Amino acid sequence: MATEAATQPRIRPEWIDFLVAQLIALAGAFAFAALIGAVIVIAYGEDPLFVYRTVWAFGTSRPQDFAIVLENATPLIYSGLAVAVAFKAGLFNIGVEGQYIVGMAAAAAAALTLSGLPTVLLLPLVIVAAMTGAMLWAAVPAVLKVKTGAHEVVTTIMMNGIAVSLVAWLILHPLRSDVTTTDLRTEDFPASALVPNLATSLGIEDVIPDSIVHLTWLFPIALVVCVTVWFMMFRTRLGYEVRAVGSSPGSAEAGGVSIGGTQIKIFLISGALAGLVGLNHILGDTGYLGSNYETGLGFSGIAVAFLGRNHPAGIPLAAILFGMLLRGQDGLAILTELPIEILIILQGILILSVVVAYELVSRALARRRQAQLGQAAS
Amino acid sequence: MAEPMTKDDAGRSGAPLIALHQVTKRFPGVVANDAVDLTLQKGEIHALIGENGAGKSTLMRVLYGLYPPDGGHIEVRGKEVKINSPRAALALGVGMVHQHFVLVDRFTVAENIILGAEGGPLVDLDRAVKRIEEQAEGYGFKVDARRRIDDLSVGEQQRVEILKALFRGVDVLILDEPTAVLTPAETKDLFANLRALKDNGKTIVFISHKLDEVLAIADRITVLRRGKVVGETTPQKTSKEKLAEMMVGREVLFRLEKPAVDAGPPLLQVEGLNLAGKLHDIDLRVGAGEILGVAGVEGNGQGELAEVLIGLRPPDSGRITLDGKDITGRSVRQNRRLGCAFVPEDRHERGLVLSMTLWENSVLGQQSRPQYLGGWGVLAIKRIKELATRLIKEFDVRARSIGNEASTLSGGNQQKLILARELEDDPRLLIAQQPTRGLDVGAIEFVWKQILEQKEAGRAVLLISAELDEIYELSDRIVTIYEGRITGEYSPQDPPEKLGIGMTGGRQAEREAS
Repeated sequence: MATEAATQPRIRPEWIDFLVAQLIALAGAFAFAALIGAVIVIAYGEDPLFVYRTVWAFGTSRPQDFAIVLENATPLIYSGLAVAVAFKAGLFNIGVEGQYIVGMAAAAAAALTLSGLPTVLLLPLVIVAAMTGAMLWAAVPAVLKVKTGAHEVVTTIMMNGIAVSLVAWLILHPLRSDVTTTDLRTEDFPASALVPNLATSLGIEDVIPDSIVHLTWLFPIALVVCVTVWFMMFRTRLGYEVRAVGSSPGSAEAGGVSIGGTQIKIFLISGALAGLVGLNHILGDTGYLGSNYETGLGFSGIAVAFLGRNHPAGIPLAAILFGMLLRGQDGLAILTELPIEILIILQGILILSVVVAYELVSRALARRRQAQLGQAAS
Repeated sequence: MAEPMTKDDAGRSGAPLIALHQVTKRFPGVVANDAVDLTLQKGEIHALIGENGAGKSTLMRVLYGLYPPDGGHIEVRGKEVKINSPRAALALGVGMVHQHFVLVDRFTVAENIILGAEGGPLVDLDRAVKRIEEQAEGYGFKVDARRRIDDLSVGEQQRVEILKALFRGVDVLILDEPTAVLTPAETKDLFANLRALKDNGKTIVFISHKLDEVLAIADRITVLRRGKVVGETTPQKTSKEKLAEMMVGREVLFRLEKPAVDAGPPLLQVEGLNLAGKLHDIDLRVGAGEILGVAGVEGNGQGELAEVLIGLRPPDSGRITLDGKDITGRSVRQNRRLGCAFVPEDRHERGLVLSMTLWENSVLGQQSRPQYLGGWGVLAIKRIKELATRLIKEFDVRARSIGNEASTLSGGNQQKLILARELEDDPRLLIAQQPTRGLDVGAIEFVWKQILEQKEAGRAVLLISAELDEIYELSDRIVTIYEGRITGEYSPQDPPEKLGIGMTGGRQAEREAS
């Protein structure tokens, strides 16, 4: 009991050890994933170095390439955050997928019904509609979880299926455009409902052509949301209680925290964040909601949150990495004979090796800390 | 690795069975064992005592081959040996029973005992059962080798662990805090078994920090403090007070002055409390400035009682009033706001969030008080950190920084942090459940003093404990609990035997007798 304070002259703050260890783990995981990826690429008769160089070049060689990477990353930041906040309370929101699909539909409905309003009013309303729609979609599993104990993984997966069908019906019936007869889609949204292109607003569309790149203000907003989520998690009572419930529900409860109430609150916030996921697609790119909308962003969010350690600082970095791999697929399709799925395989290997590496490192750290405290003795 | 020795070598007179010379074991930043000398004689019970973290378990793990020593050497029967695995230790006749048992729940006693020592691809269970029961009988153990582990009590499981080691032919048996998990009656049985083993020529190393037990069972006592041997003695030459002083390095008070406080009007009143199958018609009252001890063997509804009172679960029926105000079925948050404080039995499950920092833990339970919140639900971190710094100083919590995770504290320091937090902000009622569990003498003294101070400050204290010492030392009145019922009320002047009747449910019997 007495040993720790007295016999330890100076020790680095723990978080430095922790950060360094995490970086080592990441580097190791990357190297390992690259190695396994190389084996697969060689099996296809291609040169792994060339493949990796291509992926890198397609994401970084011109400003517009990197802009595409950021465009790809934008929805993933939101979905990563949505997964992460729920996870902090020990909840697994697999339903970000369905929630953002409903969010897109709510945004479309708002954009089309309120089309007469000016941008300053309409755009915020559309965004709020998306967040509200997604939040309501998240409310169902949240309440079921707290009231009946139904596991959120099961219920959110079910809600995903319902969301897809609901939106299909919406596009088919009430929101269907009567202008085109071939495509199943809504009318074009009014221009006042669209999110301005970042390059256009900054006057650099000659460097980053806005016809190709749909990097909008939703990207910088995503970074602001990251900071906001960080603040909520680590500086507010709600975040404090969420983390307590997530890591030690019994102690939180004895500290007067309502476990169910906290879980519902954070799940609604997770849903609201999920509502932002699909906005760059419909408000920054297509300008309407079609039946061939982007899918899978919610599931990618799980991987992003995981790779970013569920931390608001790690998530944008992980999202950008995923954005880069996504962009790299274009390069591989043009320059190699490889199936583009190779990068999806690579993603998978990367995630697996990161899991293992983090686990190894945290065990090593725990052992070291135990040893330092002489707790191994008792 | 040395060859196993035959029995005849062991008996060689004079030379100790096992001698540790200048054994040193370092962990980064800590010298867990600093040039420790220790000898074990054949047929003795040797107690190894010291505070948490003094290096007792580490030393024995070195002997059992779990940790390689950084310095010194070990002699077994006069021959220098290298013990680099538990297998090597067993081959030399050294066995160890850990605090946490390693038994397969779904296996029978016999299956567990022969596991890893089957001696061939075919298992003759009937023969094993016979052998085990013969052996057990020889040592006076009562064991049915055909029963399944999950049907056994903790005490019986411990006996299986001991038999497991004996089955492997050990001469030296290391027991790491064996009584920590036992009820008083089970402890008595264990001691009888240990004496029988000793009479059969076995050597026992008894690691503990419970001094009464050590004085009752040991032939020799070695005291460790901060990794060093500070003395060797025998129960005849020493006393509880002397041992405690050796362990802690200063005088420790076992008899604390109970401040005389006139119990005020009942602050907490409990009437007819019921909880399905767990609590039956509980009536209690605790006055301001009074400590009511609830004595009972663990698992007789004490946990449920504490949880109902603090508001973690609603009772099925009954009434709880605090200072005349009905608080039945209120939430923990509401109860805390009214001045209830709670020291839980399980520090990790109900007290601290181990992955959060000390300062974050120091405000748990108080996080919704206005002084710790700025506007908009933002935590007033500066004030919380000031609080944490003050609590840590006042309660002497040994921590490097308030930014460290609670998991980095030792058990005693974790308990001090919880006490500090719960006693902050003038509670009116303190519910303390097993407040000194797992703590060593120095920390126990501290916690007891704090609880007595609460009484002096006019607060009502409900002390729930299975440790009779603690109940006697602190309580003004005592009630016993058995199978969820209050089975009697006693005064601290009553002898323990009388309480024992209540703790085993003998209310009726006692009444008839009197």
